[in-house]
Amino acid sequence: MRRFPRLTLALVFALLMALGAVQGRRVRHLRESEAFYRWLQAAAVNERLFQEEAGENRDAELFAQCNAVAGELQELAREAAARGAAEGGEDLSAIAEVSGSHENDRRLWDIARSAELAAPRAEFLKLAKENKLRFARDIAYAEAQQGGVSVFNLFFGFRKVAANFVWIQVDRFWHQGNMYRMVALMKTCVSLDPQFVEAYLVGAWHLSYNATAKMLDTPWPQREWDARYGACVGEKERYYHLAIDFLKDGIRKNPRNYKLFFDLGFAVYNQKMKDYANAVKYLSEAIRLPHERWVPRQLFISQELNGEYEKALAGWEDYIKNFPDSQTALEVAPRRIQRNKARIAEKAAEALMAQAAQAADPVEAERLKADALAKRQEALTIWTNLGDKDGDAFRLRLEAITLREQKRYLEAVALLDKARWELAELWDELSDMIMDIKKEAGIPLSVSETKAELRRSEAGICPGMPEAERQKVLEGNQARRAAS
Amino acid sequence: MKFAEILRGPWTIAVYTYREGIRKKTLLGFLILSLLVIFGSRFISSFLDPSAETDIDVKLIKDICVSAISIFGMLITVFISASVVPGEVENKVIYTILSKPLRRWQYLLGKFLGAQLIIIVNLLLMGALFFFALYYYQHVWPTLLLWSILLTYFEFLIVSAFTFAVSCVSTSTVVPTIAGLFIYITGNLTEYLKDVQNRAGQTGQWLDALAGDIAKWLYEILPNLQNFSLKMQIVNGMPNDPPRDLQIPNLIIYGLEYGLAGFILSWLLFWRKEV
Repeated sequence: MRRFPRLTLALVFALLMALGAVQGRRVRHLRESEAFYRWLQAAAVNERLFQEEAGENRDAELFAQCNAVAGELQELAREAAARGAAEGGEDLSAIAEVSGSHENDRRLWDIARSAELAAPRAEFLKLAKENKLRFARDIAYAEAQQGGVSVFNLFFGFRKVAANFVWIQVDRFWHQGNMYRMVALMKTCVSLDPQFVEAYLVGAWHLSYNATAKMLDTPWPQREWDARYGACVGEKERYYHLAIDFLKDGIRKNPRNYKLFFDLGFAVYNQKMKDYANAVKYLSEAIRLPHERWVPRQLFISQELNGEYEKALAGWEDYIKNFPDSQTALEVAPRRIQRNKARIAEKAAEALMAQAAQAADPVEAERLKADALAKRQEALTIWTNLGDKDGDAFRLRLEAITLREQKRYLEAVALLDKARWELAELWDELSDMIMDIKKEAGIPLSVSETKAELRRSEAGICPGMPEAERQKVLEGNQARRAAS
Repeated sequence: MKFAEILRGPWTIAVYTYREGIRKKTLLGFLILSLLVIFGSRFISSFLDPSAETDIDVKLIKDICVSAISIFGMLITVFISASVVPGEVENKVIYTILSKPLRRWQYLLGKFLGAQLIIIVNLLLMGALFFFALYYYQHVWPTLLLWSILLTYFEFLIVSAFTFAVSCVSTSTVVPTIAGLFIYITGNLTEYLKDVQNRAGQTGQWLDALAGDIAKWLYEILPNLQNFSLKMQIVNGMPNDPPRDLQIPNLIIYGLEYGLAGFILSWLLFWRKEV
């Protein structure tokens, strides 16, 4: 230092620059691994929940390659699979299984940046640059990692601010009623900032609620089969599916945000599409993540609507245990518990009645019938004790079923007519029951009922539908009618 | 004891540089502008539909404020780092100081630390205002913001160190200021070098291949300020994100290494400066 001070300083400078370069490599490795980790999560969510085909993209191929290499995850995946099987889950790949719980994120991240996955990671970066990965197209960094003129480094790191200004324009288009331009810009906005969760939420809300607010449900014969969605869609229904696609895109990029799962399950599937099975599926995902207190409440309501009364009942009982002093636990939960208990008793009564009808031994049939009536009485007592409009409607419905069995058709129809005005939730079900009773009794249907009957026969069928799907729907309709 | 004595001189100069620096009108102007933007971000959110009860306005405020802190903080960094040494050369104070029993490196260290103090205080002022403004809107302490501000500082440290090095060979503040802005812009565009490298060699000529090799080496050696774009992500991110938790300490080390390299370069350049 004393003899060659400048040389020593120059060497120290060179050493520090070299250290900086080494650290830069490490940071770059972490950024590349992060992009890879985000893609792994997106592909895992897709396999676990959406099962959407990647088309000509190479996501599925690369994901399978990663699963084959990620040996360390196998044990963890087996544990998760065992838990999943206990809950009635499906067979999934190791990464999809492990990514099911946010508690495994750190482990997945360790694997994503490990030497074990170096080859798939390099392949990922190559394919991402060539734009051959559907789930890596908008992920932050994916493009920037490979260098080149990209939208990500044009904004000097301020592209999130650019996304905000794009959103202000989206809002302006919304107020102008310029829906088609708005949709395109919404996609640009989330491309600039894939973590803009609010854009996904508000965008899906615009699509499923505001855009369709003044539209009537498209009549079934006027819908068209859309192979992409596997459903019959008209203009209104197409907006619902656009909202679903938008939220699914958001979930792939932000799989740890419960709000996206909640909006998909509750706001779109439950409220708009009345698809309670899917509502339960996504709300169940939402409650597996850190969430607000009102999320499980909507799950239990959806479970009830989906006929999963036992799960809903257990859920509400848990809720009271977890939040004993909350307003919901004091006022809403006890009533919901009673409702589910009554529904469980009704379901048991129906099953016993069906068994009685099929029993060869008349004594056994009588015993089963007596048990069924006891269950029905149990349900009736609960509905009567509830003492509100909902309880009245369900009580009347149950009394009408008994009257129908006693062939007192006119009285049954009168009770059902009263009940359907008590509770909108039961309107369709009770109207169908009225028509069935009238047909059974040989009472002529009114004009509106005849039209409704015609609509019912067309439900679920549309032009362009594949024959297999058509048969499935027809069989489903027939089974429902037989059950009714 | 001896070590403390060695550092006493630089610390005195650092404090004096800080006191002198915070009186500069340009810095005060930038600070006031940034505070206005932080306040004004609330009004930008009024462009949004007030009937939609969403958190978009909070996100908008967060992004604008972090960007404002970055932009104005960077301007403050460049101006202060570019002016602390040439300013003293211009008003000839440096001759009085260096005639005292004080080594050149001690003087330089004091100036560098003083500049860092000004940058940190400005950053803390802007950050604190934003921190409390966010708390006022959300009623939740925005702890992720602290990480964002920390990363912003280490980005500034790199820009500041190299701007400071340029200022050590300059007699006026204009050249280092332009150089500082250039360092910031090119630091954010380092990724393009990789593109140059990827495209090189297509003609098969040696010059083309050489350009590719140079780009490759520059890409490896030069600091990449885009790495610090994480500061924008974490403000709106989810807590407990494993990639982020590992990147933050690595970026701090990255900033420290290049910051120190920049300071050593300034020492090297200042060694034989005729003053």
